[in-house]
Amino acid sequence: MNLLDWVILVARVALPAMILPAIVIPLVWYERRVAAFIQDRPGPNRVGPFGLLQSPADILKLFMKEEVIPSQSDRFLFYLAPGLAVFSALATFAVIPYGGTLTIAGKDVPLLGADISIGVLYVFAMTSLSVYALVLAGWSSNNKFSLMGGIRSSAQLISYELAMTTAAGGVILSAGSFKLADIIAAQQGTWLGFIPRWNVFPQILGFLIFFIATFAETNRLPFDLPEAEAELVAGYHTEYSAMHFGSFFLAEYVNVIVSSALTATLYLGGWSLPGFHPHGVLGVLLSLLVFAAKTGFLVSVFVWVRWTLPRFRYDQLMALGWKVFLPLALVNLFWAAALEMWKAAR
Amino acid sequence: MERIVFDAAATIALVFAALMVLSRNPVKSVLALVVSFFFLAVIYVLLFAPFIAAIQVIVYAGAILVLFLFVLMLLNIRHEGSGKDPRPIQRIVGGGAILVFTIVLVALLSKHGTPPGLPPASEAAAPHIGDVARAVYSDFLLPFEALSVLLLAALVGAFVLVSKEHRP
Repeated sequence: MNLLDWVILVARVALPAMILPAIVIPLVWYERRVAAFIQDRPGPNRVGPFGLLQSPADILKLFMKEEVIPSQSDRFLFYLAPGLAVFSALATFAVIPYGGTLTIAGKDVPLLGADISIGVLYVFAMTSLSVYALVLAGWSSNNKFSLMGGIRSSAQLISYELAMTTAAGGVILSAGSFKLADIIAAQQGTWLGFIPRWNVFPQILGFLIFFIATFAETNRLPFDLPEAEAELVAGYHTEYSAMHFGSFFLAEYVNVIVSSALTATLYLGGWSLPGFHPHGVLGVLLSLLVFAAKTGFLVSVFVWVRWTLPRFRYDQLMALGWKVFLPLALVNLFWAAALEMWKAAR
Repeated sequence: MERIVFDAAATIALVFAALMVLSRNPVKSVLALVVSFFFLAVIYVLLFAPFIAAIQVIVYAGAILVLFLFVLMLLNIRHEGSGKDPRPIQRIVGGGAILVFTIVLVALLSKHGTPPGLPPASEAAAPHIGDVARAVYSDFLLPFEALSVLLLAALVGAFVLVSKEHRP
């Protein structure tokens, strides 16, 4: 490998990991403005134009604040947990293709971190590690509310992971591959000339289950039981202050973006559009925009739902996950298998 | 390169396996086991078995050990009773077992060397996920189904044990 290869490799891996946290800054502002709009009030509009500098100011405040650590806490795990949360959120993005193939100096550079043969499984492996961040934060704080939040999160994440992976099984089945690039390739073209061949149309049930399960996986309303402020103060991050709290905050928003990107890739064709074949730098830039638009739309749904639906009760959440989503996800899997059999027989 | 990664992963996995046994705090034992499993997954990746690596992380590190943690936290066992060892004989027997195992292992390795005949792992010879699936659902279908029946039996058994209404 020469120098150019190394530069390309580092850029492919490092750029998304740096851009993702940067996107969180305007996203927080966006969420607060939408929340204000839904609640019929102005929202942050004082710092900078349209209040855009509110989020940078808040981050500066978080960095400057005094760090308070409970005296009876387990120091090492207490510090480890927020880092683990950010790590698992960022590492998940490594396999998601975010654009077409760029040609630099005669070399094809696909725009994704690593094109590994077990792409979807890698995503699930990383999200299954994210539960440790919440559990450890809850346990090491030595606070009963934190512990309750940590225990709830572990039960919630494991329960919804089942429905989520089973729903994604339908997509893997129709693409015949775990590679996310292959899953996008399988969604090219149209039906009847105008309906894009996205997985969302034949597998609408799977799409709904997967997308709703990501709400539970990212601890967003209406499934934010681990931090339910009305009953648990702030759940697993009750004892965290300053930038360690900020890390959990960052991880939550990165998780929202990554989940939306994953849903867009699995069900909405990723960076591709029917009849759109990116050529050259301009085409690749357009494919990045397509990807950003689809992801942005799903992120907006996250924000919209948060300020629309009330929180579920804990037993309702568990009953929904096990008694409704898991059986429906299995139905979806059978439906996807039946579709494949029908296609093969034709 | 491969050698460096293997040595590092193997060392970390072993050190954390030892920590799992030696730690007095059960929660830390579980966490040490998580780290050990994670680096075991790294070794699987080196052997061109990414599927096994992913399953190792998803099932063992991501699900089973989370359940261990879940139970430990519900019971809230903070520390093993420190101070007096209730069964001092365990230490002597355990140490003796380690000693015998080490002697036998070293003796066998020095006499026969490392087992021959195994080709080095290569990407070309590595099974694809499709091959794994085909093997599981054709040649090994009966063991696979028997395993799932076993799991189902365990599930039903656990349910019978905890349900109060049907207790005789």
